[in-house]
Amino acid sequence: MVVILDLMRMAGALAEGATGAVTISSASELDLVRRWCERTGNTLITTSPADAGLGAVLVRRGRLPDPAATLGPDRLPGARLWLYTNFHCNLACDYCCAASSPRAERRELGVERIGRLVRAGADWGVHEVYLTGGEPFLLPEIARIVADCVRLLPTTLLTNGMLFRGPGLRALQAMPREGFALQISLDSATPDVHDGHRGAGSWARAVAGIGVALGEGFRVRVAATIASPHAADLAALHDFLDGLGIARADQVIRPVAQQGAADTGVQFSRESLVPEVTVTADGVYWHPVAATDERALVSTQIEPLGPALSEVYRLFAEQWAAAGAAARLFPCA
Amino acid sequence: MSEQLLIGAVAYTPNVVPIWEGIREYFAESPAPMDFVLFSNYGRQVEALRAGQVDIAWNTNLAYVRTVLQTGGRARALAMRDTDTRFATVFVARTGSGLSGPDSIAGRRLALGSADSAQAAILPLYYLARAGVDVTRLEVTRFDSDIGKHGDTGRSELDAIDAVLAGEADVAAIGITTWDGIGGGELMPEALEAVWQTEPYCHCMFTALDTLPAERHEPWVSTLLAMDWGRPAHRRILELEGLHRWVRPELDGYAGLFAAVEEQGVTKWW
Repeated sequence: MVVILDLMRMAGALAEGATGAVTISSASELDLVRRWCERTGNTLITTSPADAGLGAVLVRRGRLPDPAATLGPDRLPGARLWLYTNFHCNLACDYCCAASSPRAERRELGVERIGRLVRAGADWGVHEVYLTGGEPFLLPEIARIVADCVRLLPTTLLTNGMLFRGPGLRALQAMPREGFALQISLDSATPDVHDGHRGAGSWARAVAGIGVALGEGFRVRVAATIASPHAADLAALHDFLDGLGIARADQVIRPVAQQGAADTGVQFSRESLVPEVTVTADGVYWHPVAATDERALVSTQIEPLGPALSEVYRLFAEQWAAAGAAARLFPCA
Repeated sequence: MSEQLLIGAVAYTPNVVPIWEGIREYFAESPAPMDFVLFSNYGRQVEALRAGQVDIAWNTNLAYVRTVLQTGGRARALAMRDTDTRFATVFVARTGSGLSGPDSIAGRRLALGSADSAQAAILPLYYLARAGVDVTRLEVTRFDSDIGKHGDTGRSELDAIDAVLAGEADVAAIGITTWDGIGGGELMPEALEAVWQTEPYCHCMFTALDTLPAERHEPWVSTLLAMDWGRPAHRRILELEGLHRWVRPELDGYAGLFAAVEEQGVTKWW
């Protein structure tokens, strides 16, 4: 009984979401703590005395936040499926989280396998597909890959927008307009910053690519990767994109992650990233920003995909409960 | 935006801040925007209400009664929690004590909570007396652990329970919310049992003075009553504050406390 009085006193002094410890001396007291938490809407964080040591158990005031409510249903693990179609690229951006470049190994997933992966994802409950690379427009079959994806799920294709001519333009024109969006990278309102990271002349060609895509009737998102965004620079970028006709909701700002080719940037651990299941030719990864990081490797077995999706969801649920608080969301969209 | 109403509340738990920030946010887009100010005790809050420093006070039942008594009836009851309409005091003893009903408590060692707690000090004696128990023959031990907060922290009630478990008292009088909080006899049936429970009475009440015009408080009350348990953002606040919905005042539930305050000579100035 005393342990319940201890719990009452401790909980009364805690703010919602804060945690406190009480000491227990037996398994039956642990069971009592568990039942008290269930009854009163509080959360037992540690599930055995050994978890906290010395008979102390940790209790969170209130329930764990619902991840669907906190993150949004579209950001729950498994809602998005990222596919690295390939790793080679016509650019060699100095912050590329996948270290893509013209010299990078191609490591293509392949048309047939992508079709099977998207089918498996749809069957599991994936809501949308993101195709990225590398530069997907370097693949001659990219229009077919997109069509196969869009037939099953809403799809976004990430591109630098620089290859919309010749075969690239014909591939673009063959892509569906419904259920499909292009996400084109543009880091600044003027060429200097963008070209400084991505190569001379790349800003002008990306802006031209945005114009081509809009002219062809596609929904275009623009994503800027900015290490230390200043308010004035962001305002200038938003004004510029407004002028191009990009909706504010389709103007995405994301930080540089210290991954791949980036020597500096946001550091993260698997525990700090809400997972977005990512498949490359090398395996299934926790998140697209860490698709070359062994620490983020979930499985080297790509197919069947369902078990890996379930495993990531299970690991996230454990992580969410153990954290006792909302995981920090790394915004990579 | 119309002029904000200023609501007073007592900071008896760290959750008072998220509760009132949440309520303020809820009201921000309403016809009755508001702000809040926190007090360390109900005496200060009632004083501020009388001085016009706050427009509405979120009072305990004792603070409401005192506002009525201090202002000669100029207090106005505005709204309460659904859970405030069915409050009660529970008398608990060690399991196997053999006690049952008010008569069995007569002459026993009774542990009470803070002297300004209606549920754990004032009303227990009132209802025992109404049930025919000679309260002057009780051996009363008081635990004035949170004076000023009218028993809101629950600490004094837990201290009273400790006394029973330690064999230093036969019975403890606690609020029904504390009884529910420790499991209501289900989690540790071998330790404590309820031996008697008073009739329901009312607890907290939003209180204003008659100087606050209806056209100012009524939109606020209507907005308050519109909070919806089914909406997650509202539900979080309602759960923290311990209710399912806000309701209009039920004044009959305060008659016992008015009578108890008079009979026991409880000062109206705390």
